[in-house]
Amino acid sequence: MTTLLDDLLNMEAEEIWKLNERPDADGLRDKEQIYYEDVNEGDELPKYIYKPTPTHLFRWSAAIENFHRIHYDLDFGLNHDRNPSILVHGSWKQSVAPQYLKDWTLPNGWPWKARFEHRAMLVPGDVLIMWGRVTSKYEKNQMGFIELEIGMKTQDGIESMPGTATVVLPLRDGPPIPYPFVPPADD
Amino acid sequence: MTQQAPPTALTPEVQAMVGVSGDVVESWGVVDAEYMRRFTQALMDPDPRYWDDEFAKSTRYGEIITPPIMVSYLASRIRPDQGDPITAAFEENPESDGIGSVERPGELPPVPTNLVRVLNAGNEIELYAYPSIGDTIFFQNRYSDIRERLGRDGTPFLIITRETRFWNQNDVTLCITRASTIRR
Repeated sequence: MTTLLDDLLNMEAEEIWKLNERPDADGLRDKEQIYYEDVNEGDELPKYIYKPTPTHLFRWSAAIENFHRIHYDLDFGLNHDRNPSILVHGSWKQSVAPQYLKDWTLPNGWPWKARFEHRAMLVPGDVLIMWGRVTSKYEKNQMGFIELEIGMKTQDGIESMPGTATVVLPLRDGPPIPYPFVPPADD
Repeated sequence: MTQQAPPTALTPEVQAMVGVSGDVVESWGVVDAEYMRRFTQALMDPDPRYWDDEFAKSTRYGEIITPPIMVSYLASRIRPDQGDPITAAFEENPESDGIGSVERPGELPPVPTNLVRVLNAGNEIELYAYPSIGDTIFFQNRYSDIRERLGRDGTPFLIITRETRFWNQNDVTLCITRASTIRR
C-alpha cells in the first residue's frame, strides 16, 4: 500500500525519502502483474523519490551528451542565465515518466502514452516525488486501458511536470497485450 | 467605433508548414549495450530486462530490451564526421552555453513567422516497441500541428508541434515523440 501523495507532502524531506518505493533489480524481476480488474479510480501508484545532486545531473548530461552548461556549470547558471542553481534536466524527468509507467505495468502490460508539461525549475537539494493516480478505466479490444494523472512534485508540493498517461493492463481472463503494441483502431 | 481584429499569426505560409517533413535519417551507429548501461544508470532504472540476458530471455520479449525513449537521445548523437562542435562553439563565442550551433540531420525548415520568443509548451510520448541491441534507428521529423491562440492582451501566438517517429531496420515503429513550443 503506497503512502498517499497528500500525506507525503505533509512530511519533512528526510521522512519523504525514507518512503521511497523505487524498486531494485529484484523487485522488477519478480514484479507481480497488476490486472485491469485490480485497479480502481482514485488508486495511487507507488511513489518514486529522487534526491538529485550535481553529480547526478552531470551523469545525465554525459549519458545523453547534453552539454548545456545550465545543468553542470554553477557559475554560468547563476551569473549568465540568472538561474537559482544548476537545473535538473527536463529530458531526465521525461525519461523517468515512461520508466515509471513501464514498471507499474510489468511484466505483461504496456506503458502506451504520456503527455506532460515542464514547469518549475528543479535544483539539487530538491526532493522529488514521481506520482500517479488512476482517473478512469475502460475495456477495449479485450485490453484494459487505465487513464492516469501523473506528475513530479517537489517536497514543497510544487508540480514540475503535470501530465496524463494511458497504460494498458491485461484482463484476468483476457489475451496477452499485443507486442509490438497495437492500439485500437479508433484511439 | 469598430475594433480592429489583431492580425493573425496563422498565415497561409505558416499553415502550409503543417505536414512538412524532414529527411529520413539513419542514426549513427546502432543501439549498443554500453550506451544503454550509461543511460540506465543515469536514469536510475535497474531493470534486469536491460542487462540480465538469461532473465530477459524468460520474459515476453525473449531478449534484452532497451528503455522506451532512449533512442530519441541516441539518435541525436553528434556524428564523428561532424567535427568538434563544442570547441567550435567556444571559438565562436567564449560565453557559449555549451550547445553552440550543432547542425542536426533531418532538421525541419523554420516556420515563417516573426514570432521569435520560444517557450516549451509540453511533450507527448507514444510507445510501441522496445528497441533491441544491434538495432539501426531511423527517424523523421514533421510539423504535425500548428495552432493559433490569443494571449490575455489579445495578441496572437502560435503553438507549434513537432513530431518525430523512430523506427528500426525492420520498419517497426518504436516510439513517437511530440514537442510543442509556444512562439510569441
